[in-house]
Amino acid sequence: MTSRRLTRLLTASAAASAGLLVLSGCAAGDTSTSGSGAPDPAAEIVIGSQNEPTNLDQIFGGSSGVTEVFTGNVYEGLFRITDDAEVEPLLATETEVSDDGLVYTFTLADAAFHSGDPLTADDVKYSLERFVGEDSIAARKRQLSVIDSVDVVDDNTVAVTLTQPSISFTYNLGYVWIVNDEAGELTTSADGTGPYALADYRKGDSITLEVNEDYWGDAPANGGVVYQYYADPTALNNALLTGAVDLVTSQSNPDSLTEFEAAGFQIIEGTSTTKELLAFNDRIEPFSNVNVRKAVYSAIDREKLLDAIWDGRGELIGSMVPPSEPWYLDLADNNPYDPELSAQLLADAGYADGFAFTIDTPDSGVHSTVAEFLKSELAKVGITVDINIITDDEWYQKVYNDKNFEATLQGHVNDRDINFYGNPDFYWGYDNADVQTWLAASEAASSVEEQTELIAQANQQISDDAASIWLYLNPQLRIAAEGVTGVPQNGLNSLFYVYDITKA
Amino acid sequence: MLLLAFALAVTILFVVLRVLGNPVFALISVGATDAEIAAAATRLGVDRPIWEQFLSYLGQLLSFDLGQSFTNHLDVGDEIVRRLNVTLPLTLLSFLLSVLIAVPVGFFAAWKSRTWYGTAFSAVSQLGGAIPVFWVGILLVAVLSLGWRMFPAGGFPRTDWEDPGAALYALTLPVITIAIVAGSDLARYVRSATLDILGQQYLRAARATGQSFATALWRHGVRNGVVPLISILAIQLSTTFVGAVIIERVFALPGLGDMLLVGIKEQDFPSVQGVLLFSTALVLLLGFLADVLQRLIDPRLRDSLSGNRRVKAAA
Repeated sequence: MTSRRLTRLLTASAAASAGLLVLSGCAAGDTSTSGSGAPDPAAEIVIGSQNEPTNLDQIFGGSSGVTEVFTGNVYEGLFRITDDAEVEPLLATETEVSDDGLVYTFTLADAAFHSGDPLTADDVKYSLERFVGEDSIAARKRQLSVIDSVDVVDDNTVAVTLTQPSISFTYNLGYVWIVNDEAGELTTSADGTGPYALADYRKGDSITLEVNEDYWGDAPANGGVVYQYYADPTALNNALLTGAVDLVTSQSNPDSLTEFEAAGFQIIEGTSTTKELLAFNDRIEPFSNVNVRKAVYSAIDREKLLDAIWDGRGELIGSMVPPSEPWYLDLADNNPYDPELSAQLLADAGYADGFAFTIDTPDSGVHSTVAEFLKSELAKVGITVDINIITDDEWYQKVYNDKNFEATLQGHVNDRDINFYGNPDFYWGYDNADVQTWLAASEAASSVEEQTELIAQANQQISDDAASIWLYLNPQLRIAAEGVTGVPQNGLNSLFYVYDITKA
Repeated sequence: MLLLAFALAVTILFVVLRVLGNPVFALISVGATDAEIAAAATRLGVDRPIWEQFLSYLGQLLSFDLGQSFTNHLDVGDEIVRRLNVTLPLTLLSFLLSVLIAVPVGFFAAWKSRTWYGTAFSAVSQLGGAIPVFWVGILLVAVLSLGWRMFPAGGFPRTDWEDPGAALYALTLPVITIAIVAGSDLARYVRSATLDILGQQYLRAARATGQSFATALWRHGVRNGVVPLISILAIQLSTTFVGAVIIERVFALPGLGDMLLVGIKEQDFPSVQGVLLFSTALVLLLGFLADVLQRLIDPRLRDSLSGNRRVKAAA
């Protein structure tokens, strides 16, 4: 095709698309919204999400998507973590702890599984052993590895013995599903004790939950829930705009917020536990040098970054602990944005002329935009950044498994991720004996105060060492249609209880 | 030939997938230990030597078993059948509509090729064929779904075809999208095939015997023109299928395309292999059927085959 013909073709197609867009613009005004009125207890709530679970079992590759759908809704734990990160008893109605803090005896609620099988101590034993078992690759398995043995006392009572005291034990149990010991394959089916039962699983499309009429607790406020999955964010937004879904669990693109606001949708902003990190390989030069890490830190205007990425929503943090946790310290200014300080630190470290390094950047989410920003910021202090875009799988292979990288970007989603800094073999290779001691001791602490004290110490130290660069804390954004109420605001670690959601 | 091509596809696919990635990394989360990663690999069977995996895979295929998904453990064969509920009607309806668009447009453009509107027709079909299918989809959604609220912006009824009306309604926009692009493409072929026929001696000869233009065209032109068109149609049907796979993402349709893309993302080898093998078999089969059909219509092709001359079926 000659260039003249190409130009003509492009002009024609541009004109055609402009015409169509004008047409669509003219017609976009008549947004129909659901009528406001009393909530309908029989209404089915349709939830749009991009976070489809890889399968339905939390112990085998159960991504955060599986937590979003099932935890607290279909399956219940011995405890419940509230939206404000408090621990409440759930299936364990009573808890007794031995004086040495090693034996927990739980009395079970009078509950039954969706299959009709009553909940017994055997089910609890089976569930806990399954969670920490050899086959399990559950994300929180390590935190439960303090379990030494689980013993059935009687049908209604179960005793768990720990190898060492664990102050977060009941909190961690809040994430462990109690499943029926006779359920069989749980990657495609479900049998829990929750207010909803799995009605339909259409991989690649939707998961439908129906109300469990025989639920042992309070009945849900709605008539059932459908999770509708969208691989494409635009398709998800369109579904919300056209009323095909009632709400979306997480909005990852702030650019569209004004459009939703203008169309009468509710924007629900809570705090998340997802931290955007520039993680160094602290084992290798020059990042083994604390001054280099601090120099990089001070060269980055994080406020500007947060504005660019999240339109000012979200928060600046200076360490791994988000503000929603009890041992949070305000360390946002511990490594301030100060290019002069950065240049000084670089000179002190023997890199007055700067240096070059590569950031392995996952191709998902906002990472590549963040990488571009970092590249331009660091260029100002003489540091040259090469951006190497990789897939998520490559990230696990190259960065996480092989530890073959200089620096990388990653969003770390969980609340108590600070414990990773206590493991010198972790991918970023931060190795500080004091921090390891404090973090290990914090878990064995005898009181919450003691635990808080120890973690705060570790927190201060990793921030002082600029072990990684904590760029910002993501906001938690949900969008709901008019008339939708009871949407959880914070959604700690992807928890998303749906039983209070209603629509008019 | 057919079987050889298929066997080759099976082998290449198997090796390439295993060279490109490790499915375990799609399952683990940050915090997993080496021992857990190794245990997961054993569970999936990807820690065995590749030839051993290949042999057991071949054994599976010979018993018409496409295996189980690595990630969700659903039977891949069942899953493909379920997804065909969306992809097959989408492909066939789009193809049908594209033929309905292409034949009159192409014929008209050829018949009136010397007039300005004949030229305009072919220019429009050129343009239509040059636009990426997903882009047409995005534009149609912007106007007909978000703008005029005539059609849903995406999705498919959770009850599948229980309510055929609802299912067809959900497919309307995707079908139009694919048909616009595929139909424009096809119209160009129809136009050149028609031009070809209109210039043929036999048509003039037929008219010289006193037949009207329409009769001559029907008796001699259509029969001669349809033979090359069959292979074009077969190729076009395969292309429509691929277009359907792409457009499923734009319209959030749970079909084979979605299964393939998610499978690739999750390194779910059995799913990816299953979908691609199915598509390969389908395309090969369509080519084969077109060949057979052409020979049934045109005896000369049969002669040329017996004379051991290869017929260029996929021109």
